[in-house]
This record gives sequence, structure tokens and C-alpha cells, in this order.
Amino acid sequence: MKYVDEFRNAEIARAVAAEIAALTDPHRHYKIMEVCGGHTHTIYRHGIKDLLPDQIELVHGPGCPVCVLPMGRVDEGIEIAERPEVIFTCFGDMMRVPGSKGNLLEVKAQGADIRMVYSPLDALRIARDNPDREVVFYAIGFETTAPSTALTLQRAKKEGIENISVFCNHVTIVPPVRALLDSPDLRLDAFIGPGHVSTVIGCRPYEFMPKDYGKPCVVAGFEPLDLLQSILMLMRQLDEGRCEVENQYGRVVLWEGNLQALKSMAEVFELRPYFEWRGLGFIAQSALKISPAYAAFDAELRYSTPGVRVADPKACQCGEVLKGVLKPHECRVFGTACTPDHPLGALMVSSEGACAAYYNFGRKSFQKVGARE
Amino acid sequence: MSEKDLMLPGACTLNHDGCVVCSDAGIPVWVVSVEGDDALCEDAAGDRAQIAIELVSPVRTGEVLLTHGGVAIGRVRRGERRVFSEVCRRVQER
Repeated sequence: MKYVDEFRNAEIARAVAAEIAALTDPHRHYKIMEVCGGHTHTIYRHGIKDLLPDQIELVHGPGCPVCVLPMGRVDEGIEIAERPEVIFTCFGDMMRVPGSKGNLLEVKAQGADIRMVYSPLDALRIARDNPDREVVFYAIGFETTAPSTALTLQRAKKEGIENISVFCNHVTIVPPVRALLDSPDLRLDAFIGPGHVSTVIGCRPYEFMPKDYGKPCVVAGFEPLDLLQSILMLMRQLDEGRCEVENQYGRVVLWEGNLQALKSMAEVFELRPYFEWRGLGFIAQSALKISPAYAAFDAELRYSTPGVRVADPKACQCGEVLKGVLKPHECRVFGTACTPDHPLGALMVSSEGACAAYYNFGRKSFQKVGARE
Repeated sequence: MSEKDLMLPGACTLNHDGCVVCSDAGIPVWVVSVEGDDALCEDAAGDRAQIAIELVSPVRTGEVLLTHGGVAIGRVRRGERRVFSEVCRRVQER
């Protein structure tokens, strides 16, 4: 893609890497977490890790909504999809996420009307075209995706379309990061903040990181030089003893976020008291549900989903990988029982999942941990 | 607007955006025409799509928007490259 050369310039990348190396204390180990799955993908796709000194360890965070979804929520979606009156719609990556008894693709092969959509607005169009059927949209995603679901329901209400509902699994980014910071398992030095989530929520929500935990955060873009520059900005903060939130991705992210999108979300959603995250357990106020004003569009109410809990397969160590305690290749089934073709855990399903990124781009740069096989 | 401006947020296009579920697929597009709550938009590869624009309205023809799942969630600020330009300049001065 020739137009993005500016953000992939090898000479500049080497120079930035040299600056990072110059700021690195050889006697210190730095742990920097990239919260977002998109960043993990860029790091492995472009070999960013290989440009950094050994003292800097990049830890992959919980920023892939497919990966953090507990299996019970997948099972409940499948149960709704199996209803004969329902046209079940979801994003492509959701189709292959394993539930306890299979995935949506298998249920579709058995005859359920499951359709892959690119946008929740596609689900609304399907509802408009099929007034005698019930259309359900499986909503998933952080604050980047939630506005599109909110906008869809606002349009449905405005147009008087009643045969659409949303099975809401939207999550929010700040509570799991706070949970990670509270976790005794992990000692982190700094954070690379998610770029496009911040387009919506802005930079202010991250101020608790320096204020309450003394950890710097830089909101970053998704090109290789964006990430390298963000790491440089974090290393400068650590070197100078500064601790603040900085915005590297100013060409898209405003400090205050997108107020129109936040208003739309506030109208359609409210915070759940708690929500289960794969590997992280229950986290208070970490997810969104449909607000009372839009209750008629809430699939959980319409289909009375029971809220089941299902344990992950015993061999699967997605939880530890999500918390950054294990690297993907240290999981006992990585690359053997669990591959992108036959994923056991969600981290291998999503193209942005840490395990899939390792499998596709990083396999040659590490040695398999034989003792775990 | 140049093609370079269009690619400011990154390399995603309507046909290749990584993973929409991931929430960090953001596609830069420029506005060809505005039609009520939607706009006809074009990406760097020349593909076009209808994009919902309520969340960033008012929108003008020629603007560059960041879209996610068929909805515009932000706008690209061409002038705001200060941080990145600073790195490039220092490297070139070396």
C-alpha cells in the first residue's frame, strides 16, 4: 500500500528504534502492555518486537472483544439463532467462536438462518426487508463498535421497525485495565492506549492510570511507526520521571472524544452491574446493556436468556494469555490442538487475537516451550 | 485532498479492514456526496459505500472520515500531525 509509506518508512523506524534503545536502562526490565488486539497484530505483522531492545517486553492486553467473551454468552447466542422465527445476524469473526456445543457456522450448516453482516445497519435492512421474521443482531465490541449499534436502534425506533432486537455484549475498556492493574499477577510499567476506542471516548478516561497507579499511557495509531513512536514517548516519560496520558494519534483522536457518539450510546445503553470476562472473571460496570428506553429491542428480554456460565476447556489457557501472564506460545495447546483452522480458544479465532497473531506472524521468532507439550 | 491525506489514519480499506469485531478497524474514507443521514464515501482503493454520518454531522463533501462498521465515528484532521512530524524532522536532521 504505497500511500502509507510515511508511516512505514524503514529509515525512520530504525532511527526511532535507536532512540528507544538509547533511553533503555540495560539493568531494567520494562513491561509495556498494548491494550488493543489491533496493536498486537501490527507488532507481529511488522516485526516491531525485533526492533526493540531485549529489556522491553510487550505484553498483550484484553482488547479483543471476541477473545474476552465467555463461552456462556456464545451458547446463549446459538440458542437464539436456533429459533425457527429468527434471522440471526453477526459479524464474521463471531461465526467461528467455539461455544460448548459448537459454533454458529455449524448451527448454520444444520439449517439455522444465520447471516454474516458487516454493520448492524445491515441487520436493520434485513429486518426492513423481512417484516414477518424476527431479526436478532449479536452485538459485540468495545466503544468503537457500540455507537454503530446505538445508531441502529435509534434508526429502528425512528422508523418504527419492531422486528429487530440486539443481543448486547458490548464491553468497555477502562474497567478491565483497572482490574489488570489491581491484579497481583502482573507488574506493568506503561500502557499503549487503544486508538480507535479513543476516537469515541477520548483520552480523559485514561487519566486514572497515571493518577491512581502511577503508570504512563500513550494513545497510539495502528501503523508500525505509530507504535514505535508511542513506545518512544513512553520510554521518554519513564526516563524523565514523567507520568501522564499523551495522544500520539492526534490526527484522529480528540482529547474529549466524539461527544455525539457518546450521547447516542448514553441514550441506548446503560452499564451492567457486572459482566464476566474470559480469564478475568466478573468485573463491575464493565459492559453495556440495552437501556429501559430501548427495552423493546433487547433480545435478552425478548428471548429470556438464562445467563448460563460455561467453563473453558481444561486444556485452554486463554485466560492466562489474556492477562498477559503467559505468552501465546507458552499455552500447552498452542499450535498443536489449537490452530486458526481448529481453534480451541477464542484467542486463536479472531484475526486480532494474540494467539492468531503469534501463529500467523511470530512463529519463527520464538522457540516452542517444549516442557509444556 | 490527496491520496496521502486519505491514508492518514492507516491502511484499512472497505475491502480490507482486518477485523471489524476487534473495534480497532477504522477505515478512512472521503465524502463524495451527502444524502440525508448517509454519505456516499470512497476509500483509498476507490471502492464506494454508503456510510451513516449522524455521529459526526454536519459533514461536508471532500472531508475525510474514520468509519467503523458502516458508521462514521470520527473525522481525520489533516493539520494535526504535529507529534508525528516532529519525529520525522528529528530523524531527517540527524
